[in-house]
Amino acid sequence: MNYHWNWGIFFQQVSSSDDTYLDWIITGLGWTVAVAMSAWVIALVLGSIMGTLRTVQSKPLVMVGTVWVELFRNVPILVQLFIWFFVVPELLPRDLSLWVKQDMPGKEFFTATLALGLFTSARVAEQVRAGIQSLSRGQRYAGLALGFTEAQTYRYVILPMAFRFIIPPLTSEFMNAFKNSAVAFAIGVMDLTFISRQMVEESGQVIESLLAATVLYVICAMAANRVMSFIEKRSHVPGFILAK
Amino acid sequence: MIEINKVSKWYGSFQVLTDCTTQIAKGEVVVVCGPSGSGKSTLIKCVNGLEPIQQGNIAVNGTAINDPKTDLPKLRARVGMVFQHFELFPHMSIIKNLSIGQVKVLGRSEDEAHAKGMKLLERVGLKAHANKYPGEMSGGQQQRVAIARALSMDPICMLFDEPTSALDPEMINEVLDVMVELAHEGMTMMVVTHEMGFARKVANRVVFMDQGKIVEDAAKEEFFGQPRSERAQQFLSKILHH
Repeated sequence: MNYHWNWGIFFQQVSSSDDTYLDWIITGLGWTVAVAMSAWVIALVLGSIMGTLRTVQSKPLVMVGTVWVELFRNVPILVQLFIWFFVVPELLPRDLSLWVKQDMPGKEFFTATLALGLFTSARVAEQVRAGIQSLSRGQRYAGLALGFTEAQTYRYVILPMAFRFIIPPLTSEFMNAFKNSAVAFAIGVMDLTFISRQMVEESGQVIESLLAATVLYVICAMAANRVMSFIEKRSHVPGFILAK
Repeated sequence: MIEINKVSKWYGSFQVLTDCTTQIAKGEVVVVCGPSGSGKSTLIKCVNGLEPIQQGNIAVNGTAINDPKTDLPKLRARVGMVFQHFELFPHMSIIKNLSIGQVKVLGRSEDEAHAKGMKLLERVGLKAHANKYPGEMSGGQQQRVAIARALSMDPICMLFDEPTSALDPEMINEVLDVMVELAHEGMTMMVVTHEMGFARKVANRVVFMDQGKIVEDAAKEEFFGQPRSERAQQFLSKILHH
């Protein structure tokens, strides 16, 4: 292989600015974490609500949850991102549309976070529904028989156990939020993917640049994994099987 | 106390209950028995509205269960229910299982609910287990806790849905003892069970069901002495002869 290795590249200055490439990478990591974490919050909140709605007694509410899930899980994330970025602003009232297109601060960040959050919420919703439906019908009966309303039965009886059951798939989903956030570069968010490509352009050090991004993505995903594993251990219910 | 009047229920096109009528007076203990699939568990779940009925009506303490204006949670809070599979809340400690309904439904203070819960645990002989979780206890212990949980709400009557059918033989008696004691205290009880010994000891009446119908509704002595229906005779001869 005739590749010219240069690990020192990270401490060299970018020709067009005062920053080193390391500064760039750190900024990129910051945006990746910001998009992924914000999207995860949206996904967890909306996904929990929509997944729960799909299991309640009221038919119209079930419909709302179903439409939501089908809407956001049947279109590729990249296409959804482009729709939010290029199409939706055109559909807004004229003044608002102009503001979004010309003046809105952090437009790329907000759009990427929203698109990723909604996309992920559909997947979280299905996991929440699976968790709820894995509980015996008797638990719902027991809550209702004690005098709880349907909402209280969910709050105190069903959801606490359902969420415990779905921590493993939710962990994967949290890690996906980091990995899927890479699409944000396509609308100009300066995340890790964007920066590593830019670094390739400027420095020509292809392997070092992409390796740095790869390692940082792995670290993010593993950190997400560790956080969830900590929550899983903390919320362990005596008498149930615990993942080691 | 409990009036069941011409109740019919369908799951889709399948009729599970047909024209069921019976009453349970205050202080009375009524045992409901019959072969599996006869609709007895379904009937008892209709009494507190866990399962809807399509025809007839059920009233508890004068309140119609199937009236859309009825505040079902409020009514259910006063009707204790014990299930075949205990259905304790696995993520809560035993004492929390006993206090959460009192706090969230009846609006009692944590301290008051805790004190009442401990008193009831002592009564069912499980005071030392207050801080354990359901998964750490035997079936018999869990079912005693479930009875205590129902009692924590100061119920006006109690429904038991096959409370001993999921228990090891050795644990059945510890649960039945608690139920017998309750009956002697004058609690109004509707009990779906195959425990004929329990029925003989404390029941006032026995209701026998088959294929969704109440086939026999008789005083205990009459039911065990000379059941009128052939189906009940068959049933009794099968379960009493071993």
